[in-house]
Amino acid sequence: MKLRLRLALTAVAVTVPAVFALVQVEHSVRRRTTDDVIIASTLSQMQSGGRERCEAAPETWMVRARSPQRPPWEREGLPDGNGGPPSGKVAPNAPPGKRPAGPRPGDEGPPRMEPRGPLGRRLPPVNLYPFDGQFVSRNPQAPALDDELRKGVREDGVGVRRYSKADGALVQDLLLRMPWDGGPCEYVLARRVEPAESPEVGLPPLYVWGVPTLILLSAMVVALGPVVQRLRRLTEEVRASSGSGYEQPVTVSGSDEIAELARAFQQARAEIQAQMAHQQAREQTLRDFLANTTHDVMTPLTVLQGHLAAMQQRMRAGEPLESGLMVSAMSEAHYMASLVHNLGAAARLEAGAPQVQHAPVDLNALVSRVLGRHQPIARPQRIALESGVPATPTWVMGDETLLEQAVSNVVLNGIRYGREDGHVAVVLETTRHQTFHLRVIDDGPGIAEEERSRILERRFRGNDARTREPQGQGLGLHIVHNVVELHGWKMTLAPSEYGGLEVAFTGPLIPPPE
Amino acid sequence: MGDRILLVEDDDALGSQIVGHLRGAGFEPVWWREGRLLVSGDLPDVSLVVLDLMLPGAYGMDMLKALRTFSEVPVLILSARNDTLDKVRALKLGADDYMTKPFWPEELVERVRARLRRPTLQKEQAVVEVGPVRIDLQGHTVQVQGRPVELTRVEFGLLAALARRPQEAVTRQWLVEHVLDPEREGTERTLDVHVSRLRRKLGPVKCVETVWGVGYRLVPGEDA
Repeated sequence: MKLRLRLALTAVAVTVPAVFALVQVEHSVRRRTTDDVIIASTLSQMQSGGRERCEAAPETWMVRARSPQRPPWEREGLPDGNGGPPSGKVAPNAPPGKRPAGPRPGDEGPPRMEPRGPLGRRLPPVNLYPFDGQFVSRNPQAPALDDELRKGVREDGVGVRRYSKADGALVQDLLLRMPWDGGPCEYVLARRVEPAESPEVGLPPLYVWGVPTLILLSAMVVALGPVVQRLRRLTEEVRASSGSGYEQPVTVSGSDEIAELARAFQQARAEIQAQMAHQQAREQTLRDFLANTTHDVMTPLTVLQGHLAAMQQRMRAGEPLESGLMVSAMSEAHYMASLVHNLGAAARLEAGAPQVQHAPVDLNALVSRVLGRHQPIARPQRIALESGVPATPTWVMGDETLLEQAVSNVVLNGIRYGREDGHVAVVLETTRHQTFHLRVIDDGPGIAEEERSRILERRFRGNDARTREPQGQGLGLHIVHNVVELHGWKMTLAPSEYGGLEVAFTGPLIPPPE
Repeated sequence: MGDRILLVEDDDALGSQIVGHLRGAGFEPVWWREGRLLVSGDLPDVSLVVLDLMLPGAYGMDMLKALRTFSEVPVLILSARNDTLDKVRALKLGADDYMTKPFWPEELVERVRARLRRPTLQKEQAVVEVGPVRIDLQGHTVQVQGRPVELTRVEFGLLAALARRPQEAVTRQWLVEHVLDPEREGTERTLDVHVSRLRRKLGPVKCVETVWGVGYRLVPGEDA
């Protein structure tokens, strides 16, 4: 539903019942006031001579009063158009000096004679009928009394009854106990009949409540105009912004809720843009990574194919297989496997900490696994691969796959770039301070000083880390460094005492699991 | 004949290769080309199971879980996925060891061997015989080819430390800290001196081997 329509409907839905309720309240207040006025005027009328007249002729006495507010004597003797007693019966009792009211055939008195009610409105006439102690009237014109009236007058001194006639007129009956006992006029019934077209029945005229409601409505609609317009503009801008990949900003003006909404959208937009940029950067990195990796895997694969082809040629020619060729082929295959594992590790490292598992790892078993993995490639290259570990398991907390990959990388570098009859040793020791010390030592060519510090300084970046460098310390050592950092360990690169490289890791031990 | 080994591997080329290498190493392989959810009694009499995790039919992990409900046979997992979570899960389900593809056949055979001989290694023996050398760890006596050899306290400690972990290298640092007298200056150089004396006393048998970069190791040795 549109905003304006909704507000207009809300206003109407609130105003109409409120008007009705107020009208009801006003009616009931007026009714009570009228009751009081009628009671007071009837009593005073009866006390100032009405009793005597009534008791003198109870069969015919009745009063048709024009208004309770007018002095009672002015009203006495007014004939009832609906078959009241002849005016002559009453006229002689009229006080002197007062203008005798002329008898009229109609129900309605002349307008100038009509008194005004509390709201300045014309009040309908009041008729009085006498009743004796048994609630029996000698006047045949008197209406019948019901239990409600009798009960009311006995208990409270006043019986009240209201009902609507079939033509819509409202009848108001008040049965009063007179301040004397006995006689045919012990009770007096005051009856007032409100015609159906009277303003007291139903709603007040339309202009009383309709005009304010209309004014309220139009004020609302007018005031809402700019708000709706700004909302529409904001909607359009948001649409345009999302259409432009959130490049286009929205205007923020003012300091109300709409401005707040615009600001919130601006924030969301900045967030989305940052996310998109991040995503794009990631995708770019991955694309580069994949492209470079494919290239990196293709190179050893080509070498391997070349070796296999050469072997086949020799076999065909019946020549003996050259062991160097075989070893080289094996080495290339092994390198490829390591590369693929490193790519997996790199992907997990790039994804960050959530991808890393933390579980107890036995470094003894890890070292034995690394040696088992590389022994088949070290042996044919005549490189002695040795290890020494403590007698009992060495427990640390970490990601087994990443740690194994890290140690593997260092060992493989040692083997790949080691000289013939060279050595690579993995030494694992523990200290009294609950730390471990894992060293990988070789007697190969080593790494120059500046290269060593460069490896430790540079942060991992997919693109340049994967490059195969002259010393082969490309992707492998970068992964090592990142894994060590991720585990909060320390790593040092130093020349070994045998002339090669010594890579050392230090970190905390954990108590054995279980 | 060697131990019977059950291989569960769906890939034909890899399966026949592994079977060939196991047979070549003296084992008796039984090859299943698909996983089966085993119940007690289904498992043939084997000493070890080599199980590929990625299998058609029953998934390797499920097969392992079913197997562990009734059997304690050692299980070696083959996994192409280099995922720690996978390994941890397999080990929790009762796998004893795992190998990540690709691997060299030699590595696999070595692992199978290590797993099969593990139980006998755990016993602490009172007398260790390595080649011609017989070391009585409780009686503190040493014999080489039946001939008693007199050793100093440090020399015996050295030999005993190596004998407790035969075929394994013991680091020099450990030996310095645990065997040499802490009162006197214990350096790796002192250790080397003690080792050369020990070697001399053990005579022609070269059983104390220097391990490059690590330390020393007791090997069966050969006569010089």
